[in-house]
Amino acid sequence: MADYIIETQDITREFDGFKAVDGLSLQIKKGEVFGFLGPNGAGKTTSINMMVGLLKPTSGQVIIDGQDMEKFDKAAIGVCPQEIVLWDNLTCQECFKLMGDMYEVPKDVLKQRIGKLLEDLFLTDKANVLVRNLSGGMKRRLNLALAVVHQPEIVLLDEPSEGLDPQSRRVLWEYIISLRDDEGKTVILTTHLMDEADRLSDRVAIIDHGKLLKLDTPENLKKEIGGGDIVEITLTDALMNGKVIGKLEEMENVLSVLEVEGIINLRALNAVGKLPKIMDGIEEVGARMADLSVRQNTLEDVFIDLTGTRLRE
Amino acid sequence: MKFFSIAIKDLKELVRDRKGLFFIMLFPVFFMLVFGFAFGGMGESNTPHKLAIVNYDKPVTLPTTGESVNFGNNLTQLLEDAKYEDSDVHLFNVTKMSENEADELLKSRDIDAALIIPDNFSESVLALINHTIMTTTNPLAASESTPPDATSTLIIRGDTGFMNFGVSQSILVGVLAQYQDEIVIHTQNAVRGTPGTQPTVFLNSKVEPIEGTQNFTTFDFIAPGMIVFAILLLATAVAASLTREVETGTLARLKLSKMRGFDLLFGGLIPWSLVVVVQVIILLVVAVAIGFHWQGGINSLLWSLLVGVIGGIASIALGMIIAAFVQNDRQAVNLGTLITVPMSFLVGAFYPLPDVEILGVPFNAFLPWTHTVKALTSLLTYGGGWNEIAYPVVVSVILTVILFAIGVVVFSKNRLKAEN
Repeated sequence: MADYIIETQDITREFDGFKAVDGLSLQIKKGEVFGFLGPNGAGKTTSINMMVGLLKPTSGQVIIDGQDMEKFDKAAIGVCPQEIVLWDNLTCQECFKLMGDMYEVPKDVLKQRIGKLLEDLFLTDKANVLVRNLSGGMKRRLNLALAVVHQPEIVLLDEPSEGLDPQSRRVLWEYIISLRDDEGKTVILTTHLMDEADRLSDRVAIIDHGKLLKLDTPENLKKEIGGGDIVEITLTDALMNGKVIGKLEEMENVLSVLEVEGIINLRALNAVGKLPKIMDGIEEVGARMADLSVRQNTLEDVFIDLTGTRLRE
Repeated sequence: MKFFSIAIKDLKELVRDRKGLFFIMLFPVFFMLVFGFAFGGMGESNTPHKLAIVNYDKPVTLPTTGESVNFGNNLTQLLEDAKYEDSDVHLFNVTKMSENEADELLKSRDIDAALIIPDNFSESVLALINHTIMTTTNPLAASESTPPDATSTLIIRGDTGFMNFGVSQSILVGVLAQYQDEIVIHTQNAVRGTPGTQPTVFLNSKVEPIEGTQNFTTFDFIAPGMIVFAILLLATAVAASLTREVETGTLARLKLSKMRGFDLLFGGLIPWSLVVVVQVIILLVVAVAIGFHWQGGINSLLWSLLVGVIGGIASIALGMIIAAFVQNDRQAVNLGTLITVPMSFLVGAFYPLPDVEILGVPFNAFLPWTHTVKALTSLLTYGGGWNEIAYPVVVSVILTVILFAIGVVVFSKNRLKAEN
């Protein structure tokens, strides 16, 4: 039995000379929620498409539970695609039945499983409603449920929260945690939402431009860039940013000062206590402040620290 | 039995997409009505086909009477006089002219066809008469002698893209074959001493339309082909439907499961076959309702249903092959039309075509719909039964199975494997 359920060995995928994924090597442990964090276009979906066998790597290899991708039992993987992929003219129940049959789930097991999934994802009263008549949130939940109808060992969720209302998102997050805690599944999650990666993932891989930038637990990642809070300052004249950054860098106990998309991003211990000095410094160089906010360190700040840019939408 | 689950899914999707289903079913009705109104005469009497005759024939002297006869003129007269059965309307509106004039009129479609009678036509007819006399009076000697080497070729010229030419040439081919048969029969009668037979008399053959086709309109001749054309176009709908599964991503979901290409395509074949059954019934009912004359009674229609459904299943298989090569349903419709329309000409849906040879191989014989057209024509136009259609039906079934197998292989290869 392998220690890692999925292992990618230096996988690369090119599309017409463009490297969507560039030498990605990582190992995913059994029973963990593994987050892929990165902006849109970072190569997350391409990476998981290679992991499930929808896409062949241009080079490199994917090993699942110690076996080559080609030989692995398809039923061990369940995939929830980023887009809503459903049959509009079937009912929820019929969609479940179809996918259960496609994975050769025994009829009695399937019946029980459908009932549980409908209940867990609050779709019981919609069981016989045509998919085309469901709300967006319901479709999202059904989209996820179809990926796990055959009880796969590995569940891949590609941007599962995309387009969800807060209520549906909460249902989804609870369900993802229950997949790990109650059913012992390995969950691989791609997201560009900091909050989602932070709250759900045991480990997070930060990926951008097809490359793995960092892989660790959310706590370690946040620790790695150091403690402190984040002060975000917007000046009335962005041309003054350089001068202000120069001034702020001279201050004591300031850990880092960066300009990110026209906003000054300052990380410092006891940031609130330093606010008067910060404002004085801004005035000294003749700049005027349009906005200022203070918040806790997040995974996005890890991303900013690594790339110098925010996560792109 | 994964294919069965796919069949149920496809059937439900088809039935619940009422608009889509309506258009699929409406299409053959609309199609048959248009062709029925255009070519059916709709209660009007039959109209003569405009025929130009270019006669290069040189007269010959008959050995029995010493009379000089120009058989080209005789044939021309016969075509001028020929009438629809039980009608005063002539089969052809004949005009004699030069070859250049005929070509000009063909190009402008002012005439439907031109018949070019070669200069050795009378010589050939005479050779035929002599050979017939010999085989009738002394069969033993005739069998040892070589047949006369005086073949002449009558040219039926016309615009092959012109529907009227297709109909005219079909009638002309039948009339000319009958002309030759009549010469042989009358010569034999004359030799055996049938009273009153003279060369000029035996050439006054009565032109009879092919048995059972006396009251046929153009629509009646083309209706079997129209049925095939309509079911061929179903390939486009099947390709678009399968491609939609690719576009919406549901195919990727299925692809990740244990489903195989055969399950998906055989499962899809079942509900689409039901669509074909309904479509063919609609086509036959509408055709009959607007005055289609067919032969063989209800049995012919029932056999036609079977033949049409086999052709339809072949179209579904073709649609699956098309779906293996396109990215979206717009491409499916474009490629589908690009393939099915020329193919309907190749298989002779609009008018009979000789075998289309590609590198010496009769290409159209490998298309199941060629045999569907033949079987339907045999059933509906000539009133044939199982004996007449057995061969084309068996061949079309074999070709349909092959086409479906090709569909499974290419679809699985192009759509169900990991993308390269």
